[in-house]
Amino acid sequence: MIGFKIGWKFWVALIVLLLWARMPWFIHNNYQLQVLFRITLFAALGLAWNLVGGYAGQLSLGHVAFFGVGAYGLALFAELGIPVWISAFLAALVATAFAAIIGTIAFRLRGPYFTLATIAFAEVLRLAATNLNVTGGAIGLTMPGLFVGRAFWRSFYLAAVALAVVSFLTNSWASHSRFGYYLMAIREDEDTAAAVGINTARCKVYALLMSAFLTALGGALYGSAFQFIVPDSILTIDISIQIAIITMLGGAGTLLGPIVGAVLLLSASEAFKNVFQESHLLIYGVLIVVVVLFMPEGIVGGLQHLFRKRIKPPKDAKPRSVLGGASQ
Amino acid sequence: MVRFLQACADGLLTGALYALIGMGLALIFGVMRIVNFAHGAFLMVGMYATYVLFDYFKLNPYIGFLPAGIALFIFGYLVYMALIRPIRDRSHFMQILMTTGIGLILTDAAQLIFKADYRQTNIDLINRSVHLGPFGANAAEVLSFAIAVAFVVGLRAFVVRSRTGQALRAISQNAEIAPLMGINLVRIQGISFALGTALAGIAGGLLLPRLYLFPGVGEDYTTKAFVMVVLGGMGSIEGAAFGGLVLGLSESLTSLYLGNQWALIIDFALFLLVLSFKPSGIFGRQRA
Repeated sequence: MIGFKIGWKFWVALIVLLLWARMPWFIHNNYQLQVLFRITLFAALGLAWNLVGGYAGQLSLGHVAFFGVGAYGLALFAELGIPVWISAFLAALVATAFAAIIGTIAFRLRGPYFTLATIAFAEVLRLAATNLNVTGGAIGLTMPGLFVGRAFWRSFYLAAVALAVVSFLTNSWASHSRFGYYLMAIREDEDTAAAVGINTARCKVYALLMSAFLTALGGALYGSAFQFIVPDSILTIDISIQIAIITMLGGAGTLLGPIVGAVLLLSASEAFKNVFQESHLLIYGVLIVVVVLFMPEGIVGGLQHLFRKRIKPPKDAKPRSVLGGASQ
Repeated sequence: MVRFLQACADGLLTGALYALIGMGLALIFGVMRIVNFAHGAFLMVGMYATYVLFDYFKLNPYIGFLPAGIALFIFGYLVYMALIRPIRDRSHFMQILMTTGIGLILTDAAQLIFKADYRQTNIDLINRSVHLGPFGANAAEVLSFAIAVAFVVGLRAFVVRSRTGQALRAISQNAEIAPLMGINLVRIQGISFALGTALAGIAGGLLLPRLYLFPGVGEDYTTKAFVMVVLGGMGSIEGAAFGGLVLGLSESLTSLYLGNQWALIIDFALFLLVLSFKPSGIFGRQRA
């Protein structure tokens, strides 16, 4: 955040944040608070994913692994008698260690191989959690409460807001720092990035470590808020897809994208819940297809593209980008 | 020893069906360099198509898989034209997202139409068995094995001998030069996508009598198909067939010695090992 100017954007962000955090004082209905909690949490998860999927351009569909390790880790550490909050952070550290392993192996692969490897890791964890006794098998575990009492949902909501703020600041740092530029260089052209002296493997792993830590905290919050976890709810690839499409819809590699995506997608799926019932993922599928076909840069990315005054590239130069071809 | 050999035989019986699934995926990857994350969903559609034929027209699944395969061929061609063709020059990132999206739509559409109920086809054949010395096998499995082998051999012959097959191989070798030689890229890509889809559908039809049918049934098969294709070397059709057999064997042996629930974990472990140490596959050539 060195060189971070306090301009009008900062004040707008602060006001939005204060309004966002004050929501529970306007809404007392627990169900609505729960929906708000999920929106905020998934915005945080989308921001965390954005480091890897957006800035570095690596399509991970295995983030649910970190999410799940966060939730399971919290439950298991708490069972040992460790205070819940310390357990949550320990779980996040374990997830970060997992990320180090996954990253070192998977980042040697590119494109579809990388995506496949991330899916495989997450699936191995899901199957292990389903079959091991310590994780309660398919029956699952009861989660310790990070918050208890009357202000249950309000507290969880505020914790999610805090996580979203931390993730946002990490993203904001990534979009302005040398490290972030390295990541973007890798996204645009990995070979060239390596040729100009960027240690691409290390940069990608660092991005994944940060992303995994934040995602695991999100998993711990989510698991604790819903009080009970089973492998099929907390380690399903659906969550990975959900996180990815939230970010893609809003705009991968943009600061506001994941937030916009989370608000839109989760309210839409909430609104359609009664219409489609168990098929609520249908809307995700349709949105993915629409985003890929018509707005590969996402909503925020597309708007930025429209409004930003840019130097025109020479006519024969063909900008190439992982995210569809426009950002340079 | 008998148990070991029996497990090997069972593994090969399943492996031939896997080979069919893997070859479909390899065909699509080889010609388009697109990893089809909707492959398992296509298999599921094939199963439902066969099921509908069974349910309404009392058509035996071992006959019904054929019309289902043809329907899937047409369906695959349409999906290619509408959704895959516009993004064929885009990054892997976008292509993976697209096929994931198609898979989600198919699975949830099936859920909407057929609900989440478990369905089953009861045919006589499934209760009969064939014996050979100390070994025994389910008659239905032997039949589906025979059909699968016929298709595997047929597909190989098609790819090697026919003119379309040659065009297909030309594109998979060099997608930039092949069109200059007068090959219609869009047509060939469409055909190979449709063919890959049809193979998944046929495999689905053949699997139907042995499995419970529900909308999510295909999910495991997408990942399994990747494992086979990666084992055999991405894009190599023979390699994928080999990968299918290996996977069938390893699953059957894992079930015997460790228990059924570990089979999928071993699949993935195999997958990660091959990906980390020899990403071009056991048979594959090194690619950039």
